[in-house]
Amino acid sequence: MLKVEDLYKSYGNVNALNGVTFSLGKGETKVIVGPSGAGKSTLLKCINLLIKPDRGRIFLEGEEITNPSTNENKVRQKIGFVFQEFNLFNHLTVLGNVMIGLTKVKRIPKEEALEKAREVLNMVHIREDLWNRYPSQISGGEKQRVAIARALAMEPVLMLYDEPTSALDPQLADEVLQVIKELSSMGMTSLIVTHEMNFALEVADEILFMSDGRIVHTGSPTELLSSPKHDLAVRFLRLGGINGFLD
Amino acid sequence: MTSYSFFFSYIPFIVEGALWTICLVGGGLGLGFLIGVPAALSQVYGGRKLKCMVEFYLRFFREVPLLVQLFLFYWGLFPSIGLKLDPLRTSILVLGLRSGAYQSQIFRSAIESIEKGQLLAAMSIGMSRSQALLYVILPQAFRISIPGWANEYAVILKDSAICFSLGVMEILTRTRYVTIATGMALLPYLFAGILFILLTNFGTGILNMIYKKFRIPGLIGV
Amino acid sequence: MDFWTEFLGSLLSGLLTTLQMILIAAPAGILMGLLLGTMRVYGGRVLSSLALSITAVFRGFPLLVTLFILFFGLSEIKIYLPPFWAAVIGFVLCSGAYISEYVRGSILSIEEGQSLAARSIGMTKLQEILYIILPQAIRRALPSISNEIAYMIQYSSLAFAVGVQEIFSISKTFNSIYFKSIEIFSVLAVIYIILGEISTYIFRFVEKRIRIPS
Repeated sequence: MLKVEDLYKSYGNVNALNGVTFSLGKGETKVIVGPSGAGKSTLLKCINLLIKPDRGRIFLEGEEITNPSTNENKVRQKIGFVFQEFNLFNHLTVLGNVMIGLTKVKRIPKEEALEKAREVLNMVHIREDLWNRYPSQISGGEKQRVAIARALAMEPVLMLYDEPTSALDPQLADEVLQVIKELSSMGMTSLIVTHEMNFALEVADEILFMSDGRIVHTGSPTELLSSPKHDLAVRFLRLGGINGFLD
Repeated sequence: MTSYSFFFSYIPFIVEGALWTICLVGGGLGLGFLIGVPAALSQVYGGRKLKCMVEFYLRFFREVPLLVQLFLFYWGLFPSIGLKLDPLRTSILVLGLRSGAYQSQIFRSAIESIEKGQLLAAMSIGMSRSQALLYVILPQAFRISIPGWANEYAVILKDSAICFSLGVMEILTRTRYVTIATGMALLPYLFAGILFILLTNFGTGILNMIYKKFRIPGLIGV
Repeated sequence: MDFWTEFLGSLLSGLLTTLQMILIAAPAGILMGLLLGTMRVYGGRVLSSLALSITAVFRGFPLLVTLFILFFGLSEIKIYLPPFWAAVIGFVLCSGAYISEYVRGSILSIEEGQSLAARSIGMTKLQEILYIILPQAIRRALPSISNEIAYMIQYSSLAFAVGVQEIFSISKTFNSIYFKSIEIFSVLAVIYIILGEISTYIFRFVEKRIRIPS
């Protein structure tokens, strides 16, 4: 489904990505962890072409999307992106936020769009009495779930989550993580950047450790918990200051 | 080509008008300052009656067109109280009154943007209210106001052209004479426009220099 | 009393002209400001420099100079604009230039996240500007725009200089005949104050209607 080959990206003197290579199969869920500044967010934004990598290639469903001739906007319709700061459209209601991609980008007629919006909002468990509220009138957890719904409405083949709960209180974070878990178990190909180690161990098919712009270690949850490499993983996580690792 | 040289011979005449323009602008700004500061203080610290009067003054001078104010004062109000002022002085007075209204708003928001803590701190070291005003509040307020003041300069400069309607010999009046004398219109007016732009940039340039010199480092909004 | 009926009667027709000028120039000026402001932020080097030049010129020239250039200057090169239209175009250019600055400022004040989110659901740049950025920018710029239109109403009096028979021009004529200056210009002042209040009221109403609840 997704193949990332040898990705490099630097900003001035800072090397954000130093040769990242990995792949994601259809229906798989992988989680990326690592210390701040490791390049995780940059990596995600390269995949949906919000950032242009300096070197390297990315393939989505077999096609190279880093090819200059690709239509970026079309690609982004196929990839769902959830931001740490939600970035809901302030001037639109919950319903409006979810529908605008459908009516203005995909140009679906309003009734169909409404149907689809209903469907995805129910999927993320947003109650109907919130549908006409504005982003500033709902809680952080609700905002993020609406953001997920907005991305889902476009019927993406891949979902990218950039630290989806870092800006949320712990109580509100749970409801969001729950939704991500459900989507993943329904077969949505997902790539998640997070600090929530418990969650990562529960949901991931594989965990990728990033540091200094490179993937330094990978492993499935069971491997990490049982194999000798367990120590290495723990050391990485402790070094990166990620708490909450089961010990 | 002779009409061009004809025009060029009039350029000194037009540029001389800049002296009158600067008179209008300087006088207007200065008078506006003298009126604006007390007016701002009245709005922030004054009693109800004072505030009411100031609001009335502000209302009139900000909501009525300059043109109407010029004519009202020149043809109406000043003669009625026996004042026989020439166009230049009337213009400066009206511009000053008008600018005072706008400047009072600039100072007022500057004063209000200074946190309460400043006043409290000043009083806590024993300053009276007026001392606190003089030594702590106003110095900061003035520095904060400089950008707004630069804007006011640009506005008055353009408004000064409206004084042509009273016959003041500033840039625009002279340009009009030149268009009648030479029969040309496009070139003279373009020249006048560019002259105004130059004066604007020159003035705001100087004000920017002053601003940089007197900046309070680290203060947000300055 | 003969003076009053004559004066007020003529004022009424002048008022019609003033209103016509403003009702055409205000929306046009706002549109122009939106266009120029957007061009300055999103245009490539060519478009944004063009917008910058236009803005600089019409903010730098006094409105009177712009009016004279449009009416007297253009007729020199065989473009004959009727007084009414010279005035309206002048107002549009002048206000549009100022409004473009406010629009530009409010566009720049919108957080990058909004743009990122728009692109992340596949919107093109144009869609992002039209559906996400501008709706929010206009709301933020509305108070400044309202202020600018209030100025336009005041400066509409300058149209007399190119021969438009609006309320100031008529008052000036009556003044030169009857010399009842205080009465004449006081009435005029009140009219302008009322016009300004109405405009402010309208904008405040619009502001309330399109406000984003928080």
